[in-house]
Amino acid sequence: MVNRPQKKTEKSKLNNASENGQTETTQSGFGYQKTAPEMRTKLVREVFESVAPKYDVMNDVMSLGIHRLWKRDFVNGVAPKADEAILDLAGGTGDIAFLMQNARSRFTEPDNKITICDINPAMLNVGKQRAMDKGLHGKFDWVEGNAEELPFDDNSFDVVTIAFGLRNVTRLSKALSDILRVLKPGGRFYCLEFSHIPVPLLQKAYDRYSFGFLPWAGEKIAGDRAAYQYLAESIRAFPDQAALVKLMQNAGFNAVAYRNLSIGIAAIHHGFKG
Amino acid sequence: MSQKDELPNTHTRVDPRLLEVLVCPITKSSLRYDAAAQELISDAAKLAFPIRDGIPIMLIDDARRIDE
Repeated sequence: MVNRPQKKTEKSKLNNASENGQTETTQSGFGYQKTAPEMRTKLVREVFESVAPKYDVMNDVMSLGIHRLWKRDFVNGVAPKADEAILDLAGGTGDIAFLMQNARSRFTEPDNKITICDINPAMLNVGKQRAMDKGLHGKFDWVEGNAEELPFDDNSFDVVTIAFGLRNVTRLSKALSDILRVLKPGGRFYCLEFSHIPVPLLQKAYDRYSFGFLPWAGEKIAGDRAAYQYLAESIRAFPDQAALVKLMQNAGFNAVAYRNLSIGIAAIHHGFKG
Repeated sequence: MSQKDELPNTHTRVDPRLLEVLVCPITKSSLRYDAAAQELISDAAKLAFPIRDGIPIMLIDDARRIDE
């Protein structure tokens, strides 16, 4: 259940999305509701604990079933190799990691594991169980961690991916800097996330769907209206394509570019270290 | 979590290669592995991060504070 948080005045001071647009970008809203960063992290965690068992259904509803195609497209773009050290962030349920493992073991059997890191134990448990069901157990390392404070050494990974996770991170620029830190020089970062449709009329139609239909569907399917309300709002509140490019550049990524999926309902951003 | 109880109690060991890349999320300094206690200890931050079912829990809120 998602409790409606009270504004904590003291903590709100930490919410320092600076007016002149420099350094820290804080996604302080819990959806649209203004909350302190620490509070938001906790609330997002509760949302995903609540939806974890029906996560796939939720994604189907939110993307009209297209998320499966987007994820394939995403992994094709990443083109993971057998000998690369790979970190998948917010990847608890294993969706992306399983696809990457299949893609990179097509020709050579990898002798290293893909590291899956998620802040949410419920999602990690879903993923671990699914890996076992798919006969993929032993191919992954599972770590519970926060994307803003990654528990990995500098220059550790050739590839870092995050799919439908960056939206739920409280301090975006902090997370992007830490992702850059754990990448090896020359390493690459890929982000798949809901984005913004550049055609106003279509964006309006999609908004009507996500704000009108989604919470209702969430209640019917997962019995949790508030969680789905959050998801709809968080999609709308997330930076658009160009804004995310800017954030990645500010964090220090090179050759940052993006590609729209399904006319911009989602987008894939990528950038390199050094 | 109810799913946790359903997971088999095998595969609880942390891969040594994972231990090599794990650092303290706050100080980014190296960790000491206490196999008996199943904890990863950050001397710099004075925190012990638990390992549950083979999953290192690298969250500050879940860590045990080590007193002098």
